[in-house]
Amino acid sequence: MSTLKHKGKGPQAMTANELRSGLSVWMTKDFGWSRDYRDALLTEDEATIERMDEVARAAELVNDVVGAYFIDTVDGKPARYRERFRTHGPTYDTAELI
Amino acid sequence: MYRYDEFDATFVESRVAQFRGQVERRLDGRLSEAEFRPLRLMNGLYLQLHAYMLRVAVPYGTLRSDQLRMLAHLADRYDKGYGHVTTRQNMQFNWPKLEDVPDMLSDLASVEMHAIQTSGNCIRNVTCDPYAGAAADEIEDPRPLAELLRQWSMLHPEFSFLPRKFKIAVTGAPTHDRAMVRAHDIGIEVVRGVEGEVGYHIIVGGGLGRTPVIGQTLRVFCPKDELLPYLEATMRVYNRFGRRDNKYKARIKILVRETGIEEFRFLVDEEFKALPASKIMVGQAERDRIAAYFAPPDYANDIKAFDLSAQPEAFRKWVDTNVVPHIQPGYAIVNISLKDPDRAPGDITADQMRAVADLADAHSIGEIRTTHQQNMVLAHVRQDELRAVWDGLVKADLEDANINLIGDIICCPGMDFCALATARSIPVSQAIAERFNDHARQQAIGEMQIKISGCINACGHHHVGHIGILGLEKAGVEFYQVTLGGDATQTAAIGDKMGAGFSQDELIDGIERIVDFYMGQRTEGERFLDTYRRLGTPAFKEALYADA
Repeated sequence: MSTLKHKGKGPQAMTANELRSGLSVWMTKDFGWSRDYRDALLTEDEATIERMDEVARAAELVNDVVGAYFIDTVDGKPARYRERFRTHGPTYDTAELI
Repeated sequence: MYRYDEFDATFVESRVAQFRGQVERRLDGRLSEAEFRPLRLMNGLYLQLHAYMLRVAVPYGTLRSDQLRMLAHLADRYDKGYGHVTTRQNMQFNWPKLEDVPDMLSDLASVEMHAIQTSGNCIRNVTCDPYAGAAADEIEDPRPLAELLRQWSMLHPEFSFLPRKFKIAVTGAPTHDRAMVRAHDIGIEVVRGVEGEVGYHIIVGGGLGRTPVIGQTLRVFCPKDELLPYLEATMRVYNRFGRRDNKYKARIKILVRETGIEEFRFLVDEEFKALPASKIMVGQAERDRIAAYFAPPDYANDIKAFDLSAQPEAFRKWVDTNVVPHIQPGYAIVNISLKDPDRAPGDITADQMRAVADLADAHSIGEIRTTHQQNMVLAHVRQDELRAVWDGLVKADLEDANINLIGDIICCPGMDFCALATARSIPVSQAIAERFNDHARQQAIGEMQIKISGCINACGHHHVGHIGILGLEKAGVEFYQVTLGGDATQTAAIGDKMGAGFSQDELIDGIERIVDFYMGQRTEGERFLDTYRRLGTPAFKEALYADA
């Protein structure tokens, strides 16, 4: 569960989208899922990372989430700009003006 | 406009039922994501950066008022109260839930709409001049042609799995191309032959994206009855020789470029000769049947001259900017700007959709057009009803008077919504709109097309913007590259790349510098594009980077 730009360096987090809503989620410390990145489990522990991978695959199989993949983090935040952006949603949404 | 026949209605309804079953099987696990993904994409459903996105087809950018009200209903019931008009004249919803999508498609089917072929490697929604049937400069209304192409390309068994997506645009006004036909895989202009007969100029191999190319003439004049066999031959050549090994080289523009237009034309001609053309040809009777759906409305002949001088200044400004001449004396074409500086270009709320639908019913035969410039059009408005239309638009907060001016910015959703984007584009468009918000200044600058894309896929058409802006990201920082001198019309050109990119703040200052430079250098009647072409790249580049 990796993307082309995933380097596997530093603390890892697992992200996906909820199957039903499509909203972004991150794996939590109790191996559940949260829509809030602040709840995300960040770890460099190999055994934990392996467990995260297994849990994510299982969550895909039971159709809780879709497209799960690991992301690199730095100083508690996703390393890639795109992934940082996913944690807070659009900076503009017309919905907020309605 | 065209109405579904029994076959169309049955097919779309069956497709909704089919997709409902597919979603059910996905939700209960009988379909994996790998199995489901191509099925949802065939029905216009993407998984974007933050959520699903449903792209609804608006064939050749034409909507009935009841269809626009249905889009408003979808926005309210299943989304967040708004929709987004795309650069291919469709409408996108940014926040649908997967389990709601079958109901959305069912609601759409009830008004003869769908989301089929708005994604995938097939022939996408055919786009068209938004002034079709109303423009004084057109040879013939291109919508019957667009509708014929829609029927031909819908679920065409040979062309449902092309090497890559395929976009066709048509215009009936070759001297004023408002459909960007030279930047499409195939562009078609209605033209006259040597004897005055009407036929088609076929352009092939245009496109934007990471490899921008202006299309070339494939056939100078194609008689009407040969059109479908000739297009079929063209598609067959593409389907056979287009690259499937590399998605970045799979568009027809790459094939045409690598083959050479002469050889490509030879291949098409050979295929054309071998085709059973008579089985594909559409005769005059069928063309007339389709054209009848697009017959001109019953125009009134008693419209009195309209005295603008007694009207409020804001209304006069709006007329000056947003209203253009109509083929019929006494009528006008009204452009409705979706470029409120505070909003994302192309976004329209559900309430605004209903307001536009009501205005269309009251003043424009119940019909609305969407434009590739992310605006809307009421194509048949009596001049003596312009004030009533404007009053309605003011009430709906849709009275922005900036069509074709610097505030009329084309902009993709960018990183704010799109999974492919590398940088945001909406905040950039808002910052430019704010900087040039003064109407008098916009008017003084004159015709100006700024186009912004949030990645090299170029959905914001930046390559053909007078000023094009491409958003990129490096080491976590967004930056913006500028191109100048692009042109989306009959004099199409790819913009010239300037140098190093800018931060957003630097970019807005840089744009102001080149606009000011143009204002200082232009001669009487020169548009930005004219001055740019006269003075050349170095002068404008120097202005762009003057304080950088």
